[in-house]
Parts: sequence; structure tokens; C-alpha cells
Amino acid sequence: MIRKYEKEISWKAGAYAIGVHLALLVALLISFNWKAAHPVLNIAEVELWDSLPTVVQKPMPAPVVEPQVKPAPIIDETPKPAPVVEEKPVEPKVDIALEKKKKELEQKKLDEQVKKDKALEQKKQLDALKAEVSKDKPVKNNTADALKNLQQEALADDKSEGDKQAVSAKASANAGVVGDAINKIQAKIRGNVNKALCREDNPELRFDIALLPTGQLSGSPKLVKSSGSAACDEAVERAIMASDPLPLPADSSLFSQFRNLKLKFRPND
Amino acid sequence: MAVAVDNDMSIFSLVAGASLPVQLVLLVLIITSLFSWWYIFIKLATIKRAEASADDFENAFWTGGDLNKLFEGLTAGRRKAQGMASIFEAGFKEYARHKQQPRMEISDVMEGSRRAMRAAYNRELDDLDAHLPFLASVGSVSPYIGLFGTVWGIMNAFRGLSNVAQATLSQVAPGIAEALVATAIGLFAAIPAVIAYNRFASSVDRLSVRYESFMEEFTNILQRKS
Repeated sequence: MIRKYEKEISWKAGAYAIGVHLALLVALLISFNWKAAHPVLNIAEVELWDSLPTVVQKPMPAPVVEPQVKPAPIIDETPKPAPVVEEKPVEPKVDIALEKKKKELEQKKLDEQVKKDKALEQKKQLDALKAEVSKDKPVKNNTADALKNLQQEALADDKSEGDKQAVSAKASANAGVVGDAINKIQAKIRGNVNKALCREDNPELRFDIALLPTGQLSGSPKLVKSSGSAACDEAVERAIMASDPLPLPADSSLFSQFRNLKLKFRPND
Repeated sequence: MAVAVDNDMSIFSLVAGASLPVQLVLLVLIITSLFSWWYIFIKLATIKRAEASADDFENAFWTGGDLNKLFEGLTAGRRKAQGMASIFEAGFKEYARHKQQPRMEISDVMEGSRRAMRAAYNRELDDLDAHLPFLASVGSVSPYIGLFGTVWGIMNAFRGLSNVAQATLSQVAPGIAEALVATAIGLFAAIPAVIAYNRFASSVDRLSVRYESFMEEFTNILQRKS
């Protein structure tokens, strides 16, 4: 390994060699010690929507809906007088019953009784009218109350209209959400269908799918209407199984419409 | 999903995380690198010393002193003469020995001393050339050894990737970095070895030319003397 004349230098050379390697190690440690300060990767799942969902509008009218329920009875009070008026024709029937009894007891006193009854009726009518007048009077007398009532009525009207609009908007929004969700379900299934197995004339299939609230299938999908080719039916069924879990709308209150989903499906759309 | 949290790499964690063949390659490379640097320093010192002694001897020789005195001065020293001095010593000893014998042809005397000097020259060249083949093979082979370690490490890195559904760069990067350490160390061993080999080879060539020209000149001097 080493010549005789090299022996005296060998220790020194060995020390130098080790020194060089230590220097290399230090250089590597300084320059090569990279601290990877990665932030923990948050992978966000993004759903792509074809059209803007109408759900967004729904939360806005929702808070308005509840306070509207209270003013509603106020509206009911004003129509009440009408039933009171309607009751009056009922009363004569009772009177007739009374008359029959009275005919049995005293036939002679019929006319008088009738007159008395009429008088009673008139009195009642008068009382009712008076009561109405008395009801109306304080309203008219206390102008402030009247204004308030008017305002309340106006508000109630507005709110009831708004309520109706909100309800209809909510219904339409729900319908939109349901439609979107069904579209998404169809899109997800369509991505898994082997379209080569289905004919090109785009037959319509119908499946009954039972879903869990998580979107997972409960049981296997039931074929209601076949496309005409068993291969296509099986391909679509496999695609539905492969799409498990199906995308459901975030609003769990709409799940009732998906529990037993009747899915119409055209593989070649 | 926390994918790449512990990516703090130091050279230690890289080496510790490498697979066994890569670690073996690294070990072999570090040992060869240590040896090549050891030889580099030894050769630096010995060649420097040979050049210095050649300079000293040429100075002493060409000042025109008595050759007998020079020879006695060399043999009186406890240390064995080296380099040009050993060539001179071998040639002059042979010449003196032949001179003492009566009736020797001059050409035979000259031939004898030439052969003695040639033998001494070969020994000196052998000493000068020592370890240079080692440096040459380290310079040419250690990049390949490092490359082998790297290829092995990258193979492992990609094989680990095949088990993962979602391949990200952070899953391959540590493996490749580990693997590349082998190439780095191979190059670290090879580059100085190649540079040193070339430099020492040229120094040895120059020294051998000096020795040869001294041999020719000394033969002329001896021929004139006889």
C-alpha cells in the first residue's frame, strides 16, 4: 500500500485527507440542510357547477318567514265578522225547532211567539249591529290605534304577499336545487357508463334508487324501464353502483325527495 | 391530508433513510475517497520532495566540484540517496568499480555504468509512479459506482410510488434526493482524483525527462573523464 519512503509522510497525509472530508461534511451540512417549511397541504374539494345554484337566494327570505306568522291572525280577525253574519241564517233554524216545540205545546201562541222571535231576532241583530258599531267606534275614535291598525294591516298585507313570494321562491329554489342535484347525479353516473354498450339512439332508462342520507345506495338500483338492450341496462346499473355515493344537496331537508329516487337516465346525452 | 410534513432533510437523514445497497455504495465511495485523498497528499509531498532534491542535486552537481567528493558526501549520509542522487550514486559506483579493474574497455565501463543508472532510474520512476494507477481508477470508476447507487435509489423511490393512488412530487423527492447523494459523493471522490492524477502524471513525466537528460549528460562526463 505504502512505500517505505512514504511512511514518514503518511500520518500527516492521512490527517489532511480526513480534514478534507470533514470540511466537505461541514459544507454539505451548511448548504444542504434545507428546512422544508411546507404549510400542511389543505386539499379542498371543489365541485364544478354548470349553472349557478338557486339555493343561495333561499337563506335570505327564510328569516322573514317566521315573524310573518304572528301578524297573520290579525288578518283573520277582519274576515271574522263575515262568519258572524253568516251565523244569522242558522239561528232561524234553531228558532224553527223552538217553534215546533212551541207548536206542540201551544199552537195558539204561534203568531205571538213568531212575533216575539222576530223581535228577539231584531234585538239580536240590533245587538250585533251595536256590537259591530261599538267595535268600529273605538277604532275610529282612537285615531292613533286606527293608524296603528292600518299600518299593521298594511304590513300584514305586504308581509303576507312577501310571505307568499318567499314561499313560492323557496319552492322554486328547492325545485332548482333538486333539479341540480339530479343533474349532478346523472352527470356522475354518466361519467361511469360505458357508452359503447348502449345504442346510439339514446334510449331512456328508469331506475328506482333507494338512497341513504349520506348519498350511499341502500340496496341495488331497480330497473323500471329497460333501454331494450340488457348490456346497456347492466352498464348503467354498474355505473350507478360505481357512482356510490351519489351527490346529494347540502340541504338535508330535501333528502325526502331523494330517499326513493326515480331516476330517468339517457346514457348518450 | 398531511402529505409532506416531515421534509426536513439534512445529509444525515438522507443517508439514514437510504436503502441498504445505496448505503453500501456510499460507504465504498467514502472509503475510496478517503484513500484517494490520502494518496493525493502523500504524492503531493513526495513529488515535491523529489523535485526539490533534484534541484538541490543539480545545483551541487553543476557547480563543478569534485565528483568523488560529491559521491562521498552522498554515501556518508545515513539516508539512502533518492531521485537524481541515487542515479548518480549507482552510475558513479559502477564506474568506479569498473575503473579499479585493470584492462577494461572504456565502452564496457560506460555500458556498465549506464545499465546501473538505468536500473536506478527505473526504481525511482516506479516510486514516483506509485499510487497513480489507483487515482486513475478512482477517477474513472467512482462516478459509475455513485451512479449505480443513484439508479438503485431512484428505482426504489418509484417502486414506492406505485403503491400510492395519487402520486405527488413530495413522495418521490426524498428518495431521489437520497439517491443523488450517492452520485454527489462519487463525483466528490472522482474529481480530485482525476485532477491529481493528471497533475502528478505530468510532474512525473517532467521528472523522468530530467532524470534521463541527467543520465545522458553524466555519461558524457564519465566518458570524458576516462
